[in-house]
Amino acid sequence: MKTTAATLKLNLGPQHPSTHGVLRLILELEGEKILSCEPDIGYLHRGMEKMAEGMTYVQYLPTVDRIDYLAGCFYSELFCKTVEKALDISLSQRVRTIRVVLLELNRISSHLLWIGAFLMDLGALSPFFYAMREREMILRYFEKLTGQRMMYNYFVFGGVRKDIDYLEDIEEIIKVLPKKIEDYEKIITDNPIFLTRTRGKGILEPETAFNNSITGVNLRASGVEYDLRKTDKLYEGFEFTPVVLDGKDAWARYKARVLELRESLKIVEQGVNILKDSEPLRQKLINPLTLKLPEGEYYSEIEAPRGLASLYIKSTGMDKPYRLKWRTGSYYAVNLLRRLLVGEYLNDAIAIAGSLDIILPEVDK
Amino acid sequence: MNIDELKKIVDGCELQENKICIKNDLHYVIEFLKNNYGLNLLKSITAIDLGEDVELLYNLFSVDDGENVVISIKVQNEAESVSDLFDSAKADENEIYDLFGINFTGNENLKRLYMPENWKGYPLRKDYVQDDTRLAWNENDRSNA
Repeated sequence: MKTTAATLKLNLGPQHPSTHGVLRLILELEGEKILSCEPDIGYLHRGMEKMAEGMTYVQYLPTVDRIDYLAGCFYSELFCKTVEKALDISLSQRVRTIRVVLLELNRISSHLLWIGAFLMDLGALSPFFYAMREREMILRYFEKLTGQRMMYNYFVFGGVRKDIDYLEDIEEIIKVLPKKIEDYEKIITDNPIFLTRTRGKGILEPETAFNNSITGVNLRASGVEYDLRKTDKLYEGFEFTPVVLDGKDAWARYKARVLELRESLKIVEQGVNILKDSEPLRQKLINPLTLKLPEGEYYSEIEAPRGLASLYIKSTGMDKPYRLKWRTGSYYAVNLLRRLLVGEYLNDAIAIAGSLDIILPEVDK
Repeated sequence: MNIDELKKIVDGCELQENKICIKNDLHYVIEFLKNNYGLNLLKSITAIDLGEDVELLYNLFSVDDGENVVISIKVQNEAESVSDLFDSAKADENEIYDLFGINFTGNENLKRLYMPENWKGYPLRKDYVQDDTRLAWNENDRSNA
C-alpha cells in the first residue's frame, strides 16, 4: 500500500470496541473517503485444524464449539454429522428434533446478540440491553439443560448427551419473544437516524457476493434464495420460508436477520410440539474408546448463522483424522471488506463491517 | 455437468467417487466450468498433504440449480491461481500458502496470514517439526543453536 502526502493510513483495531473480537483493518483514507482496506487477521488463531490431527474424534468434540462461540451448536452438529455420515448412523426422529430445536434457539441467540452489537456500533446503546435481556432467556435455558451458557458440548456422535427437558421454558421463550421483536422493530427499523446510517450503505450485488463466496443471510439480503436448510435432511418436515430481501444494503441485512428470528421461532415451536408428543429418548451411543472412521473422505455442510459452514475430513482408518478442514462464512465476509469499503466514508465503515456479522474466532479458526 | 464433455478438452481427467481428478490445466478447467455450467460459487479450496505431493480440492457450486462439482489436482509446491476468476480464491490461496507453503502463480498478494511473518515452516505439512526456538517448550534447545 503506497501512502502519499494526500492520503492517510488509519488502523482500525486490533482492540477497537467496534470490531467484535480482534480484527485489524488497515484503511487508506483521502479525507474521509476510503481508498483501500486491508484486513489483518490471525490474532485469534488457535490452530483448530492442526489440533485435530493430534486428537481423537472424541477428544476433539468439545473443542469444536469454540470455532464460533456465539453459535457453538452449529459446529458441534456439523462435526457430529460428518462422523455419523462416515459411520453410517441414522438419527431417530426425537434426536433430530432435539437438535433442530437447539440449533434454532442458538441461531436466535446469535442473531439477537448481533442486533444489539450492530446498533451499539451505530451509537444506539439501549437496543443492546434489550437484545441481551432476551438472549439471556435462551442462555439460561441452555445453562439449565447443558450446564453451559456458551460452549454446550451437548451433541455427541449418534445422539445427544441426555434427553431434552424443561420444555416449558422454551414455550415461555416462544410466547415472549415475538412481542419483544415487535418492540425492536418499533424502535429500530423505521428510526430515521438508523435509516440514514444504513440505507444504501454497503451495497452488495449478487454477482459480487457469488464472486466472494458470500452465503447465508448476507446473500439472502441481496435477493438470492439460497438456504441450505431447505435441502438439509435434518430439517425434513419442518415448515418455514427462507427470508429473501431485495435491498442489498446494510438495512436489508438487518431486516433479514430480524425476520429470520421469527422464522426460527416457528421452527422451534413445531419442534417443541413434536417433542411433547413423542416417546422419551432411547439411544445407543458409540463406544468412544474404539471409535475409528473408515478410510475415505467425508464432507458435509450446514446453514450456520453466518453463512455456509462445511467440514471436510480425510481419514486413513485411524482414530484421528488425517486432515480436517473447516469452511466458515465469516472468513469470506472479512475478505469482502477489501471490496465493499472502497469508496465509502469512514463513518460508514463501521456500519458496513458490522452489518456483515463477522465473528473473529470463526475467521481465525 | 457431464464428465465426457470435460474429457474432450483436457487429457487425463477421470471421475473418482465424488470428485473429478485432473492432472494439469487447472485454470482452464475452472474457467470452462464457470462459464459453461454456471458454477458461480467457489465454496472453498482444501489442501491435503499426501506426503509426496499436495492435493487441492476445489468445491464449485451453482446457486441456480444446486449442482456441486469437486475438482481435484495434485501439485508439488506450485499451482495455478484462480484468483482472477473468483475473488474468494485470493483468501483461500493465501491460507493454503500460509499453512502448506504452496505458491500460487498469478496471485500477487500471498503473505503469512495466521503465522507471524518470520515463522519457519508450514504447520499443516506432515513433515513439519515444531522446533522453533521461540516456543516455550523448545527454550532449552536455544543453547545448542
